[in-house]
Amino acid sequence: MSMIEFKDVQKYYGDFHALYDINLKIDAGETVVLIGPSGSGKSTLIRTINGLEEIEEGQLEVDGFDLHDPKTDMNKIRKNVGMVFQHFNLYNNKTVIENIMLAPRLVLKRDEAENKKIAMELLEQVGLVDKANAMPSSLSGGQKQRIAIARSLAMKPKALLFDEPTSALDPEMIGDVLDVMRDIAKNSSMTMLVVTHEMSFAKAVADRVIFMADGRILEDSSTEAFFDNPKEPRAKKFLSQVEHH
Amino acid sequence: MSEFFDAFTGANLGYLMDGLGITVGVSVISVVLSLIIGSIIGIILFEKLPYFSSLVGTLNNIVRNLPLLLIIFFTYFALPQFGVHLPIFWATVVAMTGFQSAMLAEIVRGGLEAVDRGQFEGARANGLSNMQTMIHIVLPQAYKKMIPPIISQLISLVKDTSLASGIVLAELTYRGQIVYAQNSNYIVPVLLFMTIVYFLLNYGLSLIAKWFDRRLA
Repeated sequence: MSMIEFKDVQKYYGDFHALYDINLKIDAGETVVLIGPSGSGKSTLIRTINGLEEIEEGQLEVDGFDLHDPKTDMNKIRKNVGMVFQHFNLYNNKTVIENIMLAPRLVLKRDEAENKKIAMELLEQVGLVDKANAMPSSLSGGQKQRIAIARSLAMKPKALLFDEPTSALDPEMIGDVLDVMRDIAKNSSMTMLVVTHEMSFAKAVADRVIFMADGRILEDSSTEAFFDNPKEPRAKKFLSQVEHH
Repeated sequence: MSEFFDAFTGANLGYLMDGLGITVGVSVISVVLSLIIGSIIGIILFEKLPYFSSLVGTLNNIVRNLPLLLIIFFTYFALPQFGVHLPIFWATVVAMTGFQSAMLAEIVRGGLEAVDRGQFEGARANGLSNMQTMIHIVLPQAYKKMIPPIISQLISLVKDTSLASGIVLAELTYRGQIVYAQNSNYIVPVLLFMTIVYFLLNYGLSLIAKWFDRRLA
């Protein structure tokens, strides 16, 4: 069953054609990594999936909802599709545990004791139980991102979108965040779409790799096929550049 | 020196204190109303609703660029021409509230705009509605930033109630003028008295603000 399906999607910023003829199908439970040079439209694409960016043409179906239909209630999609941002976007005015508990309380009307229990389990999962009552401003970037992941997981979403989750982190923080993501990919049936430059992560957990440039999807291959034998010259060039790091 | 205190006969002092009561009454009612109305207008301006926000924005700009005294004259002298008769106290409250709401609306709009875009996106992506995002995430952060400018605006509201002496509202400044008109020896003591009273009133307000600021920080 497809969780996310793009059909001939076009997206413009004024005259700039940001997404060009996007056709893409992601099945429930798949882990897909989206890579490409900066400015290729990866973030724009992932942000259309939960309606943070609107599409101008084509069809985009997420969890059975048509996103191009103005009557679609975006909140229903967002309830089931979480997002982890490059800059974390934790609620600055709430403690860590409140960051995790707020949306389940307001949106899912989850029972308070249950809500707390789930939040503590998630803090355990990301290894930050001792930070439950800390304010986000007192955390390191890596800790913030692990809390942001826990916050998304608390909604028990069907799909989780990661928009360059490690790009704003100091190198020594990246490993902890990737470990948490790897754990989710291996141990849950969640659909994951990850925009990243972490090739080792892509190799280790992705079922498929999508390569984008200039607003187009240039290659959509299984992970092995992509890394062993990329078809597109631009993908080859990109891989050789990032692997030289 | 004894002459200095002659101004403060029991009758004069009582008369001035009653004026202070009216000043405080106008101030408190106007502060509460303008905080509510100013916040609503500020949110409307921030949300950029088609047509409506720019209409409200234009009206708001007109009000903000008028002298407050003109607005007071308008609510007291001009509204009756349109069949709206307000008692002098309420004419002042309406004028103060209208003017201060317009000023506060700009502060609220600016405060909302100063909140990081990521806070909205994080909340909306987390499943919160626009309203829930505003109430739980954005407004609390915006108000925290807005406390100093809001307080200085409210202090100017309290001071500006003295303009209502222009329509003969018997508030503190008007009554002060009445008292020192009796005897020119009273001018300095009465003005000094008013100075101290206005200062204490506004300094008290800024202390309350500091307390709020510390509690929210």
